[in-house]
Amino acid sequence: MRAFVRRVIQISGFELSTCLEAANGQEALDLLQREWVDAILTDINVPEVDGEEFLHRLALHELLDSVPVIVISADATQNRISRVLSLGARGYVTKPFLPEVLRAELEAALGVPCA
Amino acid sequence: MPDISLHTALQESEDEVLEKMFFIRSFGEPQDSAREPEFVAHLTFEGDPPGWLALCVTAPAARSVSADFLGEEKVDLSEQQIGEVVCELANMICGSVLSRVENNSGFRRATPRLLPPGQPSERGFPVRGGSSSAATHSAGVGNGRLMVIFNTETPAWSAAEKHAF
Repeated sequence: MRAFVRRVIQISGFELSTCLEAANGQEALDLLQREWVDAILTDINVPEVDGEEFLHRLALHELLDSVPVIVISADATQNRISRVLSLGARGYVTKPFLPEVLRAELEAALGVPCA
Repeated sequence: MPDISLHTALQESEDEVLEKMFFIRSFGEPQDSAREPEFVAHLTFEGDPPGWLALCVTAPAARSVSADFLGEEKVDLSEQQIGEVVCELANMICGSVLSRVENNSGFRRATPRLLPPGQPSERGFPVRGGSSSAATHSAGVGNGRLMVIFNTETPAWSAAEKHAF
């Protein structure tokens, strides 16, 4: 999925300089201790630390709580979307999605003007 | 009539996922149904209702969808890459179907896992309880085929049916 998302971002025309990857929530938290990022894309259904727990831990972090997070998930139920947004996610993209949808969410989260 | 709606949800979900995420269109029920699936992804889910989904894909179809998903040449793909894509395809179809039939109650999916090759009927997929509801959908993809089996432990109702009821 990570390879696909990277490809979709490229297809959408969004300018991406560096893209860091983590296989699960814990790996992502470890990575974020060493690297600064402008935005985070995560699924909910990931091993070890899932997407909701990941959001919860980010919210408790002094610096990382300001990094916009966009959740990408196959779960389109309103309960889930509301819960994830209440945990601090800046955007929610349901799979399957079109490249322009992800781009629009990224632009909105980063505060850059839409092309 | 929940099974008919479940089948419709399954078909719509599969078509939507293949079109949007794999940039391909499936074609109807394939003629060649004798070929054994080489990749089978299976995942369970908890919610209302709970159940499981299995996605069975022939090797040519699995290689074809993986190449489209990853933007790679078919010959460059490893078995591991193909297996991961088949699992992700199962995950997305399952989430899409559940979002249609589970309304807003929410659900939790397990991580999909690949099962050894063989016919689905020989795998003994667990069906608990006597009121389960199942739907299957097959489609041709490239020069192969895929089949989705969606089983719930209690009858699944679409959101529209729930409201009508």
